[in-house]
Amino acid sequence: MAVNRRKIGVVLCALAVTAAVASTAAASHTGTPGVSKNQIVIGGTFPLTEGPATAGASLYKTIPFAEQAYYAYVNAKGGVHGRKIKDIILDDQYTPSETVQQTTKLVEQDHVFADVGSLGTAPALSTWGYLNKHKVPQVLLATGDAYWGNCVRHACAGGAKPWTMGWQPDYPGEGKLYAKYILKNKPNAKIGVLYQADAFGRNYLAGLKTGLGKHKNMIVATQSYNATDSPNVAGAHVIPLKAAGADTLVIFAIPGAAIGALATSTGIGWNPLTLLGNVSANRIFMLKAGQAHAALDGVVSTAYVPSQTAQANLRGMKLAKSIIHKYAPGLDQEFAIGDGNLVYGLAVGWTFVDALQHAGKNPTRASLMHALRNLNEKNNPFIYPGMVVKTSKKRTFPMEQLIFEKWHGGAGGDWKTFGGILNSGH
Amino acid sequence: MSRLPALLTLLAVAGVLAALPFILSDYNVSLAAQVGIFFIGVLGLNILTGYTGQISIGHGAFMAIGGYTTAVMSRDHHTNLVVTMLMAFAICFVVGVLVGLPALRLSGVYLALVTFALAVSVPLLPLQWSTFLGGSGGVQSAQTVSHVWLYGVAWSVSAILFVAAWLILRGRVGRAFRAVRDSELAAVASGIELPVYKTLAFGISAAYAGVAGALFVLATNGFAQPSEFTVFLSLQLLIGAAIAGLGSLWGILAGAAFVGLLPAVSSSVPVVGSAHGRDVVFGAAVILVMLLLPDGVAGLVGRLRNLSRA
Repeated sequence: MAVNRRKIGVVLCALAVTAAVASTAAASHTGTPGVSKNQIVIGGTFPLTEGPATAGASLYKTIPFAEQAYYAYVNAKGGVHGRKIKDIILDDQYTPSETVQQTTKLVEQDHVFADVGSLGTAPALSTWGYLNKHKVPQVLLATGDAYWGNCVRHACAGGAKPWTMGWQPDYPGEGKLYAKYILKNKPNAKIGVLYQADAFGRNYLAGLKTGLGKHKNMIVATQSYNATDSPNVAGAHVIPLKAAGADTLVIFAIPGAAIGALATSTGIGWNPLTLLGNVSANRIFMLKAGQAHAALDGVVSTAYVPSQTAQANLRGMKLAKSIIHKYAPGLDQEFAIGDGNLVYGLAVGWTFVDALQHAGKNPTRASLMHALRNLNEKNNPFIYPGMVVKTSKKRTFPMEQLIFEKWHGGAGGDWKTFGGILNSGH
Repeated sequence: MSRLPALLTLLAVAGVLAALPFILSDYNVSLAAQVGIFFIGVLGLNILTGYTGQISIGHGAFMAIGGYTTAVMSRDHHTNLVVTMLMAFAICFVVGVLVGLPALRLSGVYLALVTFALAVSVPLLPLQWSTFLGGSGGVQSAQTVSHVWLYGVAWSVSAILFVAAWLILRGRVGRAFRAVRDSELAAVASGIELPVYKTLAFGISAAYAGVAGALFVLATNGFAQPSEFTVFLSLQLLIGAAIAGLGSLWGILAGAAFVGLLPAVSSSVPVVGSAHGRDVVFGAAVILVMLLLPDGVAGLVGRLRNLSRA
């Protein structure tokens, strides 16, 4: 029996040594991680599957596949400075502990050049300390919280985070625009706000209040829901808003909750002026709300990427369609019904490639950051025509423009933008 | 007779564990630390479920309490992290004893439901007290640790708690636990006080889970957030304990490795359309283990031992 155990011990030791040799062999490389003669390896974490307590996050899962499709398109044309882009997508289920594991894997096992486009506020917060400490770019994040721009030089959670950068217009700036819209179009409005009880929802609400300024008391009631609530529970919070006498509903919520709120409003016979945070304004989410019998006409939101359904004739949208069709044909159907996240993913891919082109023939992590901090895109075909993606020493938020849009055509309808391009910046 | 080889095995395992950080890559060290964390959790649950026969599908809740203890103490007071682990141990012991009280009246599936409620409700507390516990935005601890630190501490703590568990279980208390498991009536008849031992078992195993939770949060770059502590975490611990079987070091190592490593190993790129591929792998593995190893890895080790004797 003792012999038997010793044998097991020997086997275990042998295994350990093999693993060690294998891993040190993999780790022995020189130069910039992820950059070889003809390839650049990047990665990102996304909710590809639904976690146990994250109702609706995986609705965003098409984003990384659109990014991969764009890189495949660029690779087919020869890549960037002769290097093909390889994008490793890992599933974190929108759960910070998983994000940490997967991000560690990307950095230490896959030796990625940069963490690009990863999704979610809490996931990004759980890894930004680690990535900044190791000086790994954490860039073009798929979250609009203001941290990513505000903490470049100012200390946040233990230090400045110069290696972190967002992309989309930030939530507080968007909230301010809704305030302006209400002040202009319905100056006597009684506002009820439904928001998510976390940094994401509060930042939005704070923006709305800033925008209202001395008219803050137009907000007659607020209700918050938890990100872990089911859509129906979250949506039911509009009932007390109606009871409080509100005639204007502002929704700062993730898709599941927003759909629930829209459906419940209609269900209780309430027909307020509704403003919807743009994270939930994807056409496919609106169609789902329509299926749940929500009255959608007149809902107001904002956009920063064009719509492949409402603006199908734009050159960029034709290009988007052909790229998706050629490099991600499984997503043709989603594209056809108007999944705005696909356009979003292509636009992010475009910005990354643009930065890489400006990061030098032999890019380093520092040169990539330098390029990203000096973006000047007037010709990104996948962002709203006339908008720019621009950064500088002073400007740490790449996008600071939005345009209003209004829903027309009922359950099978679509968004229509109106007014001009507005500044949502700081 | 069996004392010496057992000791040799322990030393061999300890030796291999001590050598690993020098030969593994940094990333693999972080995975090995993860296994160490689950080792503690599974070990603790084993005391309750395996030895005392009380089902808990809520131990993720104790991990949450332990994890938040560490994160909050570090955020507000920069407390030494090892001290926060001791605090997590103490707080979770008390909460565990309190949760053990219903176990005096309930058993089997009803007790399981109570613990399940715990697993569901505790992660919601931070949302309720969001100024203190950070809401769903989470709590960021002031200190963070390296993979090697985490590995060293996780496995040192594992070793200490393993020896402690061994000392508890081999003596009077352990016998009482087993008597409660085998027949409560017989246990009472032999003078064992059920309330004391049931709540004690809950307290000890909760305290172990609390320490595991503290380390778990440190493994998440010191970031405690409700969505880290879902019901699924409780199930992972239970699955780990089921795979471990009863009373074997190898079993607990195997159970911890299974739940600690599988998410990392099975997470690479599911294609759009196969949305739950990862959960399927996990579920299938559990079913296979239950079919092929009904007594867990400990049962397998026992069977191998019998074979070698024959």
